[in-house]
Amino acid sequence: MTASGDFNIGIVGSGVVGSRIALHLQSLGIRPRTASFQHASELFDCSVVVLAHGAPHATLVSAFIAQGVSVVSASDNLQDVMSILDAHDRAVARGVAVITGAACSPGMTGLLVHHVKRAFESIDEVHVAVHGTGGPACARQHHDSLAGVSIGWHDGEWLQRPAGSGRELCWFPDPIGARDCYRYGSPEPLLLQRAEITLQRITARVSATRRDRLTARLPMLAPPHPEGGIGGLRVEVRGVRNGNRHVEIVGVAERLASVAGAVASNAALAILNGTVPPGVHNLGQENLPNDTILDGVLATGTTLHQFVGN
Amino acid sequence: MGNLCGDPKGDPVKFIRQAILAISLGGIIAAVLRTRGKSPDAPSQGGWREVTPQR
Repeated sequence: MTASGDFNIGIVGSGVVGSRIALHLQSLGIRPRTASFQHASELFDCSVVVLAHGAPHATLVSAFIAQGVSVVSASDNLQDVMSILDAHDRAVARGVAVITGAACSPGMTGLLVHHVKRAFESIDEVHVAVHGTGGPACARQHHDSLAGVSIGWHDGEWLQRPAGSGRELCWFPDPIGARDCYRYGSPEPLLLQRAEITLQRITARVSATRRDRLTARLPMLAPPHPEGGIGGLRVEVRGVRNGNRHVEIVGVAERLASVAGAVASNAALAILNGTVPPGVHNLGQENLPNDTILDGVLATGTTLHQFVGN
Repeated sequence: MGNLCGDPKGDPVKFIRQAILAISLGGIIAAVLRTRGKSPDAPSQGGWREVTPQR
């Protein structure tokens, strides 16, 4: 474990997620250094940097890789995450570890899929739904993601569908309950497919109101809230157990910025402790310490729920 | 052969009758799909409970 008082971890962005990451690290006796996006070069002497500002992150990731600094990115922008994944060879060449999509969705979802799959002989479907937003940057991303194109993994092929389509009523843990959820532009299917190559179907949906969908192609009409309320995450995994079809559904009900902060800070700790190999990774992949990271997230007070029914 | 689309100018009563028939048929089909179109392995009742990961 890192000694108290050092500055091995840097944080870019001091918004809702950035401040939660700093709080989590401070509770573990680590004093991170924080810089704004414009002054990110001040963190070139850190061992690990967590990018917690609004997307895009890819340019900064490349800059930190070039400086030999490991990176954790909390970006949930599809194009941004794809650009970060393209930096894999450069990260390996520089011997640095990069974890992309280390937030709530994606991020926590990969940890949950990895955790739940031990209840199966094999898994072939994952369906993710998320409700709520973190800080203002997350709210803007939510707004934009309902206007573009969503991707989904279906029987070994990538499908593109209009974001905002495909309504499905999803039940989240209390106190959220049932919400109408829609396809959205998310890197979730891409990252889950990398983590679990046996999956045949992956979908990602986000809760939205009629107003969200109607105004998605317009600029945001009102500035977003400083922080969203209680959000929710729901991960449905389907596969085979004892020779029969089986479904497991797990979820969390928590402020999404808190979940994202806990995931990103524990991912940074994993890199700092040397348990992540060089290259670009995402949570849920076999070569990452997913159980340790999930334990660290749950130790911050996030409660895991399981749907029990028939 | 009569006009299947129903010419409102020719026979408005027939047109209204055909429209009501079409709406009724659509409603019946939708009702059947709603009651019978469920995935067999989707959870239909239950609730959420807190869990602690077991290693």
